[in-house]
Amino acid sequence: MTRQGDRLSQIGVNLPELLLRVENDLDLLGELIGIFREEFPRLLQCLQDSITRGDMKNVEAASHALKGMLSGLSVTQAAATASRLEQMGRAGQTSGLTEAVTLLENEVADLLPELDAYTAEEKL
Amino acid sequence: MRILIADDDRMSRRLLEKTLEREGYEVIAVDNGRLALQQLSLPDGPRLALLDWMMPELDGPGVCLEVRKQHERPYIHIVLVTSRASKQDIVAGLEAGADDYLTKPWDPTELTARLRVGRRILQLEDRLVEARETMRFKATHDPLTSLFNRGIIVDLLTRELARTRREKGCTVVMLGDLDHFKSVNDTYGHVVGDEVLREIARRLLASIRSYDFVGRYGGEEFLIVLNNCDSAQAIVRAEEVRNKIAQHPVQTIRGPLPITMSLGVLASQDWDLQLVEEILGEADLALYRAKADGRNCVRVGKPTALCNAQDQLAK
Repeated sequence: MTRQGDRLSQIGVNLPELLLRVENDLDLLGELIGIFREEFPRLLQCLQDSITRGDMKNVEAASHALKGMLSGLSVTQAAATASRLEQMGRAGQTSGLTEAVTLLENEVADLLPELDAYTAEEKL
Repeated sequence: MRILIADDDRMSRRLLEKTLEREGYEVIAVDNGRLALQQLSLPDGPRLALLDWMMPELDGPGVCLEVRKQHERPYIHIVLVTSRASKQDIVAGLEAGADDYLTKPWDPTELTARLRVGRRILQLEDRLVEARETMRFKATHDPLTSLFNRGIIVDLLTRELARTRREKGCTVVMLGDLDHFKSVNDTYGHVVGDEVLREIARRLLASIRSYDFVGRYGGEEFLIVLNNCDSAQAIVRAEEVRNKIAQHPVQTIRGPLPITMSLGVLASQDWDLQLVEEILGEADLALYRAKADGRNCVRVGKPTALCNAQDQLAK
């Protein structure tokens, strides 16, 4: 595994699984990263707004969508956090929601730059 | 083969699309359940579908339920793609009408393998439907002429007469018999006789409207049922049929043969007969008269009372 590959593993990306899913197509991976770049902030905002409004149905829906995207990129740890948020939304459990969202943000913070760096390095 | 992907998650949709295109599928991708149902309800819509469980407007199981209500359509193999992997969810998905399920994040080799299973099932279904249709055709059609066989044409006549009585309309029944057909078989052999029967069947079909029926009633006897046709038109239509047969000789391997047909005709409105056997009996009597009057002609069966009334009017 390359140096960047190691970095991705350190931030919780299951790189072998991700490469298998995109069938080693780095252009496709680049496209998926582009979609994530556009969709993640929108969904995170939607999740935060839903928490503020106490709209637990939307908390569940936004978390479900985030979980799907993170699973698609094999970001296993963050996907597990999104899954936990989804369950909290479904159960109507408000306590601990904000903390879980903060954890999710932290887990994803370095994801985009590291993924960009990885695809750039592999394409060289 | 065409396949439908329905997923509101852009990333998942793109990933599925690319994976399936690599496998040679023609992909139709939509982002909600309503659009998925729309695609799957089209007459030539895709027969393989990958549906996300949670979607706006209509979820995956909801699409399955609606699709399974469409009994007339060819079968659609549906795979639910879901991150809901509890036994309860899986059972609910399958009960809604899904054939298979895959949990997210999916593995591309497993995905394509499961779709191959789906294709095999669809191919099997196609073969079964084809076999059923072949058997249905054989059970209802005469193997030589491909016209309706006796059982079916009499059934159709029975149904048509019942409808006519209900709606106070009129059905015309024509019983046609080829003249001197036995001598065709005796002189030229049965291969030529069969050629003649096939050509006559073709001419009969060409001389009726799309909503009329024609069947092989016996060896060289044919039954024609004309819907919504009254006694005034009956003789005109019967003469058209007779002309169609007599107009040109039938081309056979032994050369052209002149063939004619005698016809007994009756219009249901002229008779107060309830049983199809009685109607056919009267048509047969009219046919007998056509034969007795020199063949290659049409005779109309009319009840004695009607004949007397018409005679009186003529005087």
